[in-house]
Amino acid sequence: MDKGKKIKDVSYAKYGYFFIAPFFIAFLIFQLIPLGQTIYYSFFEYYRSGLKIIGPNPVGFANYQALVESGFLKYAGNTIIMWLIGFVPQIIVSLILAAWFTDVRLRIKGKQFFKVVIYMPNLIMASAFAMLFFALFSDNGPVNSTLISLGILHQPFRFLSTVWGTRGLVGLMNFLMWFGNTTILLMAAVMGINPALFEAAELDGCSPRQTFFKITLPMIRPILVYVLITSMIGGLQMFDVPQILTNAQGSPNRSTMTLIMFLNNHLYSKNYGMAGAVSVILFIVCAILCLLVYFTLNADDGMSHGKKKKKARRA
Amino acid sequence: MEKKPSHVRTVIAYIVLIILTFLCLFFFYILIINASRHHSEIQKGFSFLPGTAFVRNLKNVLKDANIPVVSGIKNSLIVSSLSAAIATYFSALTAYGLYAYNFKLKKPAFIFIMLILVMPTQVSALGFINLITKMKMLNTLYPLFLPSIAAPAVFYFMYSYMQSSLPIELVEAARIDGCGEFRTFNRIVLPIMKPAMAVQAIFAFVSSWNNFFIPALVISDNSKKTLPILIASLRSADFLKFDMGKVYMLITIAIVPIIIVYIALSKYIVAGVALGGVKE
Amino acid sequence: MAGISFKNVVKTYDNGVTVIPDLNLEIEDKEFVVLVGPSGCGKSTTLRMIAGLESISEGELYIGDRLINAVPPKNRNIAMVFQSYALYPHMSVYKNMAFALELAKMPKDEIDRKVKEAAEILGLIPYLDRKPKALSGGQRQRVALGRAMVRNPEVFLLDEPLSNLDAKLRTEMRSQISKLHKQLGTTFVYVTHDQTEAMTMGDRICVMKDGIIQQFDTPQNLYDYPCNLFVAGFIGSPQMNFIDATVVEAAEGGYALCFGETKVMIDREELALYVGKTVICGIRPEDFHAEEQFFHGSNVLKAEIDLDEMMGSESYLYLNYAGQKLVTRVPARYAKRTGETIELAVDLVKVHVFDKETELTICQ
Repeated sequence: MDKGKKIKDVSYAKYGYFFIAPFFIAFLIFQLIPLGQTIYYSFFEYYRSGLKIIGPNPVGFANYQALVESGFLKYAGNTIIMWLIGFVPQIIVSLILAAWFTDVRLRIKGKQFFKVVIYMPNLIMASAFAMLFFALFSDNGPVNSTLISLGILHQPFRFLSTVWGTRGLVGLMNFLMWFGNTTILLMAAVMGINPALFEAAELDGCSPRQTFFKITLPMIRPILVYVLITSMIGGLQMFDVPQILTNAQGSPNRSTMTLIMFLNNHLYSKNYGMAGAVSVILFIVCAILCLLVYFTLNADDGMSHGKKKKKARRA
Repeated sequence: MEKKPSHVRTVIAYIVLIILTFLCLFFFYILIINASRHHSEIQKGFSFLPGTAFVRNLKNVLKDANIPVVSGIKNSLIVSSLSAAIATYFSALTAYGLYAYNFKLKKPAFIFIMLILVMPTQVSALGFINLITKMKMLNTLYPLFLPSIAAPAVFYFMYSYMQSSLPIELVEAARIDGCGEFRTFNRIVLPIMKPAMAVQAIFAFVSSWNNFFIPALVISDNSKKTLPILIASLRSADFLKFDMGKVYMLITIAIVPIIIVYIALSKYIVAGVALGGVKE
Repeated sequence: MAGISFKNVVKTYDNGVTVIPDLNLEIEDKEFVVLVGPSGCGKSTTLRMIAGLESISEGELYIGDRLINAVPPKNRNIAMVFQSYALYPHMSVYKNMAFALELAKMPKDEIDRKVKEAAEILGLIPYLDRKPKALSGGQRQRVALGRAMVRNPEVFLLDEPLSNLDAKLRTEMRSQISKLHKQLGTTFVYVTHDQTEAMTMGDRICVMKDGIIQQFDTPQNLYDYPCNLFVAGFIGSPQMNFIDATVVEAAEGGYALCFGETKVMIDREELALYVGKTVICGIRPEDFHAEEQFFHGSNVLKAEIDLDEMMGSESYLYLNYAGQKLVTRVPARYAKRTGETIELAVDLVKVHVFDKETELTICQ
């Protein structure tokens, strides 16, 4: 028996490692080590003052304390508010559109056309889109001049000088960029529901509204959760649009300064300690959201699924 | 008998859809109109009709020494194409490694990638910039596409696609036919993955094309700038002194190629989006 | 010269589950051997070990005289037909068949000759330029066979190759594969869970269960002399009837198996040890007879018909006798209908007796 054990056999395991190695090496170099460094720096006083570099001196949690004083909470609030302005209409509109598009009774023509159109803004360079909005909504830009010439306004509305005007524009852009994507995801989810279920509901006398709330919504809940969480993570990353729209100022009065803009400012001014602290907090929040995504996706999918399939085949 | 309410709903649906379509298209319409108008015309107000200065604006933008558009387009094309190629190839490779082989770390590796599936890269930007500086890659294009080797979302798409379209028996048949493991991947697996690769290549290309945060931190040299950085620099310049025709033209240059590609491939892209979030 | 021999082969998966505890099997050159058993019995694993797709945990595996534990599949001189056919979807039929030869760096004209030759035999000439998607199930199946044939392997491995075909095509392909085996004169190892396929195609059949070979013999012997309860139940359709019976010493000498009011006389010494004990009595459905000439008094049982299935030339009757469910196959003209009572005689010569505990055959 012992001798038998020593006989080499055919094993492909090593190729598995070969194939996944590039991914993990790249991840290690470009993400994991940087992340470790980021966390490390967050506990140090380390910044540039003029041409002089101060630090790195270990300061414990001082950077985190300084964060709170330097308006971190306000920027977090800004981020959440602007995310909500975009997300709430986005999810409502997407749900309604998904319901309409999949409703056989409505027989909407040109579905493909509408899908193509509503997804398009998602592919637009956010910075260019923001630049466009800046030009269009500037004090004497086309939007104001149109509104005045139509007699709706008597003098230009200064969108970018009012808090809610600017936040509203950021929200509007986020809405425009993402509602198409969400609609298509939700549609796919609705179409994944067994059509017999809708037929049964119809035979049972469900109105379209009842069908939507009693059948469709519960069935697509996992996708809704997925959309919600990924959108939250997207919201946390909000940067390009307010950055360009307000020229990195978060104007007016830092009311549109997002967390990543804040991080970006610290990175530009080479205040590594503070940038590190912002990153760590963002990382923790994202990690929690990542865990949630993991559990929504793996409720009945992923590896376990593949294993099951394989086992069935082997039998 | 229920025809009437359904009819009303259809009308409402069309009205809402038309409003949304208007919202989505209107801004691009103005963009292209304005890109074809003279600075002075734009200042005067809004018009629904295109102007005559399209070529002039284009020439002006391309000539402007402060905004190196031509090299910007070139850099953006290089970075985005390489990102797309690298992200799709290596994601397929990783997905295949985890799909087709059994090894001890298989499950932990899979769980790990699933955990970082939606982790934003911004959180490690500080360390990333530091590392890039140490590796002397600051102001080069490498840091903009090399990290694409590890693209968890693309990986997940590829993995799901393999589950539905790549029977393991095919790989085994290749083994028996005398095909080496790497050759099997390149000659059998990749052709089968083509549809998934195409869709993901488009997404990877677009997101790299539009990427602003990291390039803005890595690149400061004018000749290495990508389009989004150029647009940002436009914004930070004294805006009012600017020729608005040129501004709109630059935005057009940044946006329109993507829109053209999108319209040409919209069928596949929309189908790809639908696949992205849904299992199987 | 390509027999296959397993010497004390063990297969344990990475998760610690042992699917094959200790396998010893000798397959002779040019033989058509069928591995059969219920799902999870290790038959596919055994085949995949021959192919080199599954590693061998312990023991030795030979093809001919060559120890092949560590030989990669391509060097084992084998070919395999998969259940799903595993045709490369992006290659034409021709390319699919030529692929292995190209990899082996065979000259182009020789590849062409071999592919055409195999295509000729399988009737695939008109389809050579098609992609697998454009073929019917039976045609794909033939391409899979052709891909294996062109390589002139010493051993042909077939893993449930017919299970994706419809019933009619399956019967057709069954005879085609048998014919192919004779034509090629190579060793065939064929895995199936379908005992009909096993019985009709195999020179010898290896019945497996839980990774252990139950019996390895010719189809006729398996049917007539199953070595244990499992084999007896697995081979044959409808299944053999199993009845708990008590062994008694008969007044006339010899022994009798008693169940209900029936007494089956069997004069076999092996039963001496079981007097007074319960054994399992196995009777094949066709060994019940409705004809008068088989009636010898006590071997007759009277049972009510629960259900009758008219098959045309014959009839299956599902009976309830003394709390036991029985099935019998009788000529259609003797068939009675559901609800009626029927008298049947047990064919004394064909009774199998099994030990209730070890499930091994006592006598038959």
